[in-house]
Amino acid sequence: MAWISRNWTMIGIIKGLIVTMKHILQVGNRKTVTVQYPYERMKVAPRFRGKHAVDEDACIGCGICEVNCPNSTIQIVKYDTRWFPEFNLGMCLFCGLCVDACPMNALKMTGDYELADYTRESLVYGPERILFKKEVSK
Amino acid sequence: MITNAYELIVAILSAIGVYDMILGYFQDMGMEFILKVIIVLVEIAVLLVFVLLTVMFLSWLERKMFAVVQARYGPMVTGPRGLFQPIADGIKLLSKEDIIPATADRWIFTLAPYIVFVSVLLVYIPLPFGESLIVSDLRVGLLYIIAISAVTPVSILLAGWASNNKYSLMGAIRAVAQDISYTIPLAITAIAVVVFVGSLSTVDIVNAQQGYWFGIIPKWFIFLQPLGFILFLIACIAEMGRIPFDFQESEQELVAGFFTEYSGMKFAMFFLAEYAHLFAVSGIIVTIFLGGWTGPAIPIIPIQITSLIYFIIKTYAVIFFAMWLRDTVPRVRIDQLLHIGWKIMIPLALLNLLVAAFVVTAGVI
Ligand code: SF4
Ligand code: SF4
Repeated sequence: MAWISRNWTMIGIIKGLIVTMKHILQVGNRKTVTVQYPYERMKVAPRFRGKHAVDEDACIGCGICEVNCPNSTIQIVKYDTRWFPEFNLGMCLFCGLCVDACPMNALKMTGDYELADYTRESLVYGPERILFKKEVSK
Repeated sequence: MITNAYELIVAILSAIGVYDMILGYFQDMGMEFILKVIIVLVEIAVLLVFVLLTVMFLSWLERKMFAVVQARYGPMVTGPRGLFQPIADGIKLLSKEDIIPATADRWIFTLAPYIVFVSVLLVYIPLPFGESLIVSDLRVGLLYIIAISAVTPVSILLAGWASNNKYSLMGAIRAVAQDISYTIPLAITAIAVVVFVGSLSTVDIVNAQQGYWFGIIPKWFIFLQPLGFILFLIACIAEMGRIPFDFQESEQELVAGFFTEYSGMKFAMFFLAEYAHLFAVSGIIVTIFLGGWTGPAIPIIPIQITSLIYFIIKTYAVIFFAMWLRDTVPRVRIDQLLHIGWKIMIPLALLNLLVAAFVVTAGVI
């Protein structure tokens, strides 16, 4: 006789149906939370850790970032008579330790997250793709 | 008196004034039957196109509704609001490689999806889309529908067995267990309606629901047998294998159930069958309980068109409910499924039949 004690009103299902109906009829604030990705993007957080960028004027090529990287992502290479870090992003785990270790505050991480590529070689970001020049404020 | 689609086509041709000409042309050659075959082929073509368009629209609608409920967009890129997504999907499926597993039973594996699709398509034959818009008014229409629906579990079992895959087999076994336990209350509740009508013909069932009680309430069987309607609806949703009874393809446990191994064209067949079945079953629910194509007549417009519109509106209302339910509830457990089927639905269906039989015998209505 266990079935007598059961709740036969199906109130749970009816409540659920009401909730979904509210969504279908767009009652209240039920905006779409996803975005049409390739056409529109969500704003990334300011401290988002994406692709690296090296300040061309500040970097002294000391190699401290190379030493601190847990994944040996960074290699110091010669570029245009000076030494700069080169990032093999296929190995990077975007931990940000290199940024913390830089004595000149030359390293930073941008919000660029679309890094998928066709070959492993093209994931090696040399200085030509990493360097940026800070706007000098007068 | 026009009674089916064949006669309707003949009547339309006569109205335009070309029927006698065409008939005379074929009679000169002594091959009247060829004309009949051509007209029947036209009928089949119209039905097939209708089913394909419906399936495409339904698959779009289902995805879109699911997306809206989950606060997503759903298909958006192809066509306005992603309306052409089913076409893109179809082309993709057709161009996919048709893989047959090495250990599968090739013949049965190839045959099963087509049996499923054909058995679903056959259900459309005694389905009255409107006044005289019926392929064939079988005198045993309802029995025929229930009998043809019973072919589906067989082909599902064939598909699951021939795939030689544990997930497919488990899905097929579950589907068969579920179909068998829910076909019984389905048939019994249908019989309760037949007791009122005194005929198994779908057209007679619809005609019995014409008119109004007290001038307002339409004489639909849903008001006469609310319990029967609820049981029939639940049994139909279980028959179709939709959430909350989608054991045949419970994704979290069985990959995709009995069509795990299918790809390309054969998968498309299962997909077509699923949505064609959804429309057919909703049409049956409408025919039996919601008055079929009956509705207030509109002057000027021919009754064939108005009745078709009423039928489509009612059918889409039932489909909407099925999709709404799917978006809302989780799946029941397999033991709960059989518990509901055997211990609750069948006794209630029998009670419903008993009351119906008593009411009819006592001459209350
Ligand atoms: S980025 Fe910073 S840590 Fe790395 S080489 Fe340049 S100055 Fe040194
Ligand atoms: S973010 Fe981490 S893993 Fe990537 S280069 Fe910097 S230290 Fe190495």
